[in-house]
Amino acid sequence: MDEVLIAIAVVLVAAAATAAVFHRDPLRQSMVLSLLGLFLALLYTFVQAPDVALSQLAVGSAVTPLMILLTVRKVKRGPRSGSEDR
Amino acid sequence: MSRPVRLWVFLVGAVLVAALYAWACFDLPSFGGDHHPYGDRAVRTALAQHTANAVSSVNFDQRAFDTLGEQTILFAAVLGTVVLLRQVRGERRTDPTPAPVADRVRWFGVLMLPVALVVGFYVVAHGPLSPGGGFQGGIVLATALHLLYIAADYRALERIRPVGLYEVGDAVGEAAYVVTGLAAVLAGSAFLANVVPHGTFNTLSSGGTVAVLNIAVGMEVACGIIVLLARFLDQAVEIEETAEETGAR
Amino acid sequence: MAAGELLPLVVAVPLLGSAVLVAAGRRLTRIAADALGAAFAAGTVALCVFALIGVLEGPAVAWAGGWRPKDGLGVGIALVGDPLGVGLAALASVVTVAAFVYSWRYLEEPPPRHAGGFPALLLLFQAGMCGFTLTGDLFNAFVFFELMSVVAYALTGYRVEEPRPLQGALAFGIVNSLGGYCMLLGIALLYARTGELGMAQIGRALGTGEPDALVLAAFVLVMTGLLIKAAAVPFHFWLPDAHAVAPTPVCMVLSGVMVELGVYGAARVYWTVFAGPGGVSHSSCTRTLLVIGVATAVLGAAMCWQQRHLKRLLAFSTIGHVGLFLIGVAVLTPEGVSGTALYVLGHAGAKAALFACVGILLARYGSVDEYELYGRGRELRLVGVLFGVGALALAGVPPFGTGLGKAVAEEAAGQQAPWLPAVFVLVSAVTGGAVLRAGLRVFGGAGPRPPAEKADGEPETSGAEEEPETGDRLGRVPGTMLAVPVALLAGALAVGVLPGFAAAVGAAGDHFADHTGYLGTVLGSGSALSHVSASPHWTAAGVVLDLVSTALAIGCAALAVWRPGRTGHPGASGWWTPIRRMQSGHIGDYVAWALAGVALLAVLTVPGMLL
Repeated sequence: MDEVLIAIAVVLVAAAATAAVFHRDPLRQSMVLSLLGLFLALLYTFVQAPDVALSQLAVGSAVTPLMILLTVRKVKRGPRSGSEDR
Repeated sequence: MSRPVRLWVFLVGAVLVAALYAWACFDLPSFGGDHHPYGDRAVRTALAQHTANAVSSVNFDQRAFDTLGEQTILFAAVLGTVVLLRQVRGERRTDPTPAPVADRVRWFGVLMLPVALVVGFYVVAHGPLSPGGGFQGGIVLATALHLLYIAADYRALERIRPVGLYEVGDAVGEAAYVVTGLAAVLAGSAFLANVVPHGTFNTLSSGGTVAVLNIAVGMEVACGIIVLLARFLDQAVEIEETAEETGAR
Repeated sequence: MAAGELLPLVVAVPLLGSAVLVAAGRRLTRIAADALGAAFAAGTVALCVFALIGVLEGPAVAWAGGWRPKDGLGVGIALVGDPLGVGLAALASVVTVAAFVYSWRYLEEPPPRHAGGFPALLLLFQAGMCGFTLTGDLFNAFVFFELMSVVAYALTGYRVEEPRPLQGALAFGIVNSLGGYCMLLGIALLYARTGELGMAQIGRALGTGEPDALVLAAFVLVMTGLLIKAAAVPFHFWLPDAHAVAPTPVCMVLSGVMVELGVYGAARVYWTVFAGPGGVSHSSCTRTLLVIGVATAVLGAAMCWQQRHLKRLLAFSTIGHVGLFLIGVAVLTPEGVSGTALYVLGHAGAKAALFACVGILLARYGSVDEYELYGRGRELRLVGVLFGVGALALAGVPPFGTGLGKAVAEEAAGQQAPWLPAVFVLVSAVTGGAVLRAGLRVFGGAGPRPPAEKADGEPETSGAEEEPETGDRLGRVPGTMLAVPVALLAGALAVGVLPGFAAAVGAAGDHFADHTGYLGTVLGSGSALSHVSASPHWTAAGVVLDLVSTALAIGCAALAVWRPGRTGHPGASGWWTPIRRMQSGHIGDYVAWALAGVALLAVLTVPGMLL
């Protein structure tokens, strides 16, 4: 049973990671990255590393995507011009 | 390099590296085996040190010096962000206009905020006992605070988030770790030695310095991540370049 | 206090200093923040010196947390103070102090309430470098490797007002993070095999049995990480891009110490972890490092000659010298190690002094372009003299430490292959000559005036119209900014002439190259030094070769200045252009080359090991 869960999680991680690479738009990328973080957290849970899963969940699915989103917002806003379309 | 050349260089390198790595993997011990020389020693040591969470015992006692380095990496990254995302010549601050928030979102945030905070404190406090600890709990605490940004608006977040204070908290967490290590030296033992009485197994105060270092890390991580996100929010919401500077580019 | 007990303090003191600076930084004035930072850095120098005096007798070990292994089995992390490691920690600390003193009057006024940022980062950098040199644990080495990296990215991009520092920092960050991943992957493989993370413990576990693909992959991956840090070909692309844009005091530390720590790490890891029978054979390791080293040395020197952007010129000369250092350790003898160590010490002084001089030019004229600055440095006579002396030291003129180190490393390399000394002579002559050429033009106004505008299609930046890092252009050169290069050059000289110094470095090399001795020291079985080599000293042959390279450097420089048509810049149409264009600034290119480099390392190492 363990092996099956681990195998599923590994496949999901690989799929999400590949998807993250092939998405060119940073916004979508950050969403896929968040999903990848979730799958990784699952994988870590299945291989009995709950504390690593917890870190992964917090950093990989919350903080990192948030930082990417904020960066994208800053870059898209550009100098001055963006202040109207908020 | 032109695109195709770059791709070829990359592919040749990637194929060879993949082959090497796959070859190496055949020499790995088989998955799920029970030969763990370090793991067995570490768990034995953790029990002897009255630390129920063996991982915390490794992180804050047996290999506490690694954790010092790791928490310093986060400290350095936050400091680097503060330095790089500073407001420079030709940039000015604008007041963000509050955006309307849907009622459901507002209620979600208001309900989740206390829950998330309690979970964060729980995870930090129980570091020596159960999975998690200062690092994990610290991040939960830091992200919890940002529910306010979702539920209310940026200004509500700013009101409960005096960044200067959190910067100090970040540094105090870092310093507390180093000072705990130095205190052991002053007590006549080795740097970062677990010289405090180890307490009763499986109680909140057990593990000696594990509990102390765990809280130092929790403080550093929570404050550090808040400062980090504050700098990012600052750039994304408040700071903008002025026209003259743009023209100069 | 015993030397061993001082080792953790060497890391803890600068860490504490940076925490104090961040906590108090909002209330400190700039002068107070800089003075506090410099005091912590200088205190660490003192600790390093005391520890160094203690370990000259023999290496000391400190177990963090007091986790001394029982019966050779333990759970803790060892800090190992062998003379070479502690010596490098001392060097890193001294150069950090120099950077502190130099930046005192150099960097632009920091924004209000942020005075603590820059000094705190410098202290963290110092702690990272010291930790990396002192640790005896492979994973812990990775942690400090990452700490050095993270701080260095931030310091490189410090001048955020301009786009180029950020681009340079980004290239630096991405390529070095890749190195970090590789190193971690290699450590994971070694842990899976041996169940140990300590260098000595892994070395003991690999001391029996046959090498296999796992050991090969682990060696290649760990070496990749360290060689990326060392900016060896083909992992070197990040270095010129980063060094050209980093603030000058930061360049002094990056070029003078951090890059060399990559070479140190590679040598340390080989000798402690892989030198046993179950590891990588001597001949395989020698072949790999030698090929990479020669390629790095030649490419660095050739690229150095072609630059007119002074900071890029110095950056490429660092690459050339890193190549020589790699050759010096590649021969895997104690003599090679001690020669390289002397060379690194001398080079750090000379290179940091040269960067300090270029910083003065940048602060005063807002340019680091050799052509644009033609003759303008004539009024800075002392700086000109320092620059010239630095150039000659780089070429290896006796009695500078660079000359002694080069001579000793050269002789050790000559035992491996008789043509290797020629590489040493040529590379040091060309890099020294390039710097001398720039000095003659800038400070002497020698030769015809070079065309100021950029030739069409010239691949690299010229360095004209840079923003001075001082904020405003300097009128008078502050005394601190002059004192630093003087002291650094004096240090480089002292390495070569101080009686007893070379002998101490020789003993350090013996300890460093002693695989069983290291294992015995760390694991408590104890063992006497297995091999005592003759101490390095000036030899007639060494002095002659040093003088040859110095003469060649002067000749190259003179020819380039007074006969620019024949030897000057080949411009855009030279045969060398394709290679210059490889330095494209495109991070994708750099990553592709890095990956190809990993494969190259594997291909170089595998013959005689598994095939």
